[in-house]
Amino acid sequence: MIRPRWRKVLRDLWSNKTRTFLVVLSISVGIFAVGTIADTRVMLSRDLSADYAGIRPSSAILFTAPFDDGLVRSLRQMDGVREAEARFTVVLPLKTGPDEWRNLRLEAIDDYDDIRLDKVRPEMGPWPPSVREVLVERASLQLTDANVGDMLTIKLPDGRERALRVAGLTHDLNKVPASFSGTPYGYITFDTLEWLGYPRAFNVLHVLADGDATDEQHVRSVLEQVQRKVEQQGATVRWMWVPEPDTFAADDVLRPMIIVLGVLAFLSLFLGGFLVINTVSALLMQQVRQIGMMKSIGARNGQIMRLYLGMVLVFGLLALFIAIPISSLVAYGVTRYLAGLINFDFAGFRIPLQVLALEIAVGLLVPLAAALYPIASGVRVTVRRALDFYGISGEQFGHSFVDRLLQRIRGRLPRPLLLSLRNTFRRKARLVLTLATLALGGAVFIAVFSVRASLIDTLRQFTAHVNYDVSVNFDGAYGAQLIERKAMYVPGVVAAESWGTSNARRVRPDGSEGSSFELTAPPAGTNMLQPMMVEGHWLGPDDKQAIVLDTDVLKNEPDIRVGDEIVLKTERQETTWRVAGIAQTTLSATFIRIGTGYVNFADLAHAIRSPEPNGRLRIETTQHDAAFQSSVATALQDRYESSGIRTTSITTTSATREAIRYQFNILTVFLSIVATLLGIVGALSLMGTMSMNVHERAREVGVMRAIGASDGTVLKTVVVEGVCIGVLSWPVGALLALPISEVLTTTVGDEFTGAPLTYIFSLSGALFWLVFVVILSALASFLPAWGATRLSVREVLSYE
Amino acid sequence: MVYRWLRGKRSTGTSGGHEAAHLIDIRQAVKRYESAAGSFTALNGVNLQIDPGDFVAVIGRSGSGKSTLLNIVAGIDRPTSGEVIVGDTAVHLLPERHIAPWRGRTIGVIFQFFQLLPTLTAIENVMLPMDFCHMFTPGERRGRGMRLLEQVDLAEHAHKLPTALSGGQQQRVAIARALANDPPILLADEPTGNLDSRTAEAVFRLFTELVDTGKTIVMVTHDADLADEVGRAVILGDGEVVDDAVNHRPPPVGGG
Repeated sequence: MIRPRWRKVLRDLWSNKTRTFLVVLSISVGIFAVGTIADTRVMLSRDLSADYAGIRPSSAILFTAPFDDGLVRSLRQMDGVREAEARFTVVLPLKTGPDEWRNLRLEAIDDYDDIRLDKVRPEMGPWPPSVREVLVERASLQLTDANVGDMLTIKLPDGRERALRVAGLTHDLNKVPASFSGTPYGYITFDTLEWLGYPRAFNVLHVLADGDATDEQHVRSVLEQVQRKVEQQGATVRWMWVPEPDTFAADDVLRPMIIVLGVLAFLSLFLGGFLVINTVSALLMQQVRQIGMMKSIGARNGQIMRLYLGMVLVFGLLALFIAIPISSLVAYGVTRYLAGLINFDFAGFRIPLQVLALEIAVGLLVPLAAALYPIASGVRVTVRRALDFYGISGEQFGHSFVDRLLQRIRGRLPRPLLLSLRNTFRRKARLVLTLATLALGGAVFIAVFSVRASLIDTLRQFTAHVNYDVSVNFDGAYGAQLIERKAMYVPGVVAAESWGTSNARRVRPDGSEGSSFELTAPPAGTNMLQPMMVEGHWLGPDDKQAIVLDTDVLKNEPDIRVGDEIVLKTERQETTWRVAGIAQTTLSATFIRIGTGYVNFADLAHAIRSPEPNGRLRIETTQHDAAFQSSVATALQDRYESSGIRTTSITTTSATREAIRYQFNILTVFLSIVATLLGIVGALSLMGTMSMNVHERAREVGVMRAIGASDGTVLKTVVVEGVCIGVLSWPVGALLALPISEVLTTTVGDEFTGAPLTYIFSLSGALFWLVFVVILSALASFLPAWGATRLSVREVLSYE
Repeated sequence: MVYRWLRGKRSTGTSGGHEAAHLIDIRQAVKRYESAAGSFTALNGVNLQIDPGDFVAVIGRSGSGKSTLLNIVAGIDRPTSGEVIVGDTAVHLLPERHIAPWRGRTIGVIFQFFQLLPTLTAIENVMLPMDFCHMFTPGERRGRGMRLLEQVDLAEHAHKLPTALSGGQQQRVAIARALANDPPILLADEPTGNLDSRTAEAVFRLFTELVDTGKTIVMVTHDADLADEVGRAVILGDGEVVDDAVNHRPPPVGGG
């Protein structure tokens, strides 16, 4: 048996279904946003951690000159090394169309049944593959343009073509997902490697340090010993990748993304609370007489408060019923999508208990917290005042400064428009909360546009400072003059520059060595690269033994300043360099950022004691579109093959840009979804406000109709009032968007691209939001306006 | 002349079709409300004819159907059965979308609680019906509004908000608003019910002056004394006309 007071609560909820629906929906959106993000995060981190731990990740991967099995055996015996494993990896062109080639990274594994580190797992087909067979990483199969059972045609450095049968699939969580790298991965045996013409040797070393994997200092010292040992055995370490312990590489991107989205989700929940405040305040105002009556028959303040808090609790419960199942389903979809994107095994649908607890807590507590003040102040009314209460107080127009200002607007404006305009300011507290909701929603919306514009501009700058169209990597040193001359014969090539590349590690003043980073050595005075300088200056022809470091290197070596002299270890040689400047890191299509140091070509040649350092050819073409770059790349491939020059990879700048754009799009889509949710909360808030306004002014609507206002006029009056609120929120939102855009852009830049983005405030975003908020406001006020036209004049005028 | 001619016509008792035999012609009007408590008949076969220039008081107890009668004349409510003809318009058949503009042009409504829009000044309230019904050119509206406020002695308060006016002043603004579109008929529901006796007297005087200019006024009132002073008093009881008395009141000025 429900007690009469709770019956009142339920009937109050039921009697104004639109109001209940709007409040519940508004809270639901907040719970949905928070729940979806939290659920996704929990599922992601659990499944990803479990999946990642299962591959037994190594402490470091060293890319070296070829070495033999003996080194691996001796490393396994070394103190501080728990495990070591060696593989051979090579990048070869894979035929994906009549004249289309794409890089394929082939990895030769010695014993498929004894993979000890960074485990590659069987997904489908034989294990191991037979000779002349390849297993393709499952997420990269579509990039090969083949299916299991098909033949893959690869081109060897000498120009010969070989066909490998796709025998099955593997799952390699340790590779940069193919969707980001754009590179398919294949796994072969050493027999197949020999058949392809390569020696039975290793060039990649996976090492797991003993002891506490999270003890960075310990791991570093072990790796330094390993490095020394490898180099003592004659295998130069080209570079070493040291992943963060127990952390999947993509998690570096996912974690901040989830945090940013989570903050926005909580904001939507918080804004949903504003509608609760407005609704509860309006309800209490409408029920002042009822409150007085309840008090007159013995109700205490606490009892009445509980009554209304109970109502808010029901709002929260109803919202939970809507939000929990939807957020769980959406989180499942998002996690599945992300699992596919970053290539991990998703354990399937479930609702984690802690997420459920979070949803219930925020779903009930946020509305209660929002309603507490209006309820507490509303029930304090005295019996005498409550029973004497006539009409709606607090709505008297004409007393405030704004009212007086609005009163001065007369003459030119038609009265219905004047009415809408002045009605907008009648309930100022309600207006402020509605404006705040819409403005914050708008600010985030504009901020997301700004992030997008900043990302696009950063990408444009990437294109602007990278003035080459095609890059060719060679399998060995062929002499700059030769490879440049060959390139110039290819139609469409305007300029060709041979750049030296090597790897370096900083030898710190205390003797310890830093992480590997790439040394890139363009010819002095090159026009093909114009990095954005953060500090100092770019290399000039006169800069001798000078180096420009990018911001990624600085992250690992934060003590370096412009003008410092630093010692670098390159190919076992230690040389001293003067830091000429710090450059903004360039965008990369992968999660892995090892950093780059730029030196002049001649200085690198001198440092590594080789007149022709291993090279990379940068080529400028006459046209810069993707198709043209691709055709030149193919022509270059043919040209080098016919000359007996072995290339390991040819990439076009367009392809890199597209890969980066793809990642940016994923990010902006997620941000846009949350911004849209905030927009929806804003619209619901406005709809709620307009419903309350219409409800409270029903009699005025009746009067308007009695003196000749048609349905259209009434509709227009209410819609224009809603649009006025929307338009008013715009400048506030645009102003708030300034700091929010900057913070969001900086965060996205730091966390996702590893460098601050070029900050651009999106004016088009602000204008778009203006159009959007006008449409949104018109739509949000249409329903209440339509309701106003349905009001019967007789009914609204009859209860005097 | 027109007034007399129409009165003469009424005496013939003919009203074929929807021709304007009377300015207001209510025939066998029944209004029944259905509710959870059961059926309630507010008007039970009411027949009432009102001619141009009539000043009619509708009196009766609470629940006798007075306000319902006004509502069906104004098109605010529709009769369950019967006919309501105003001028040459069959109000009971008028499509919903046409009712508001028709009412705005034909009928001025005056309420007991004045019902001025609180965010508009006196002059703006008066101009509002002209805007709604697109009467007069936009340039003419302000001048007309001021003249109407002068007519009710409130020109100096034109730019005040309703909250700055007394009850009597508000009711006079409401009357000026009712006259805005120069409607032939004014319907007033207890127009003096919320005013002190002196102010009520002033409002009543204004009504008689309006009748003298040819307006037709139907006024619902509880006040039997007031009813005695108008040209005609219709007494309603339980939804039926129980008495329809023509008072002997001096003919309107210029009425011949």
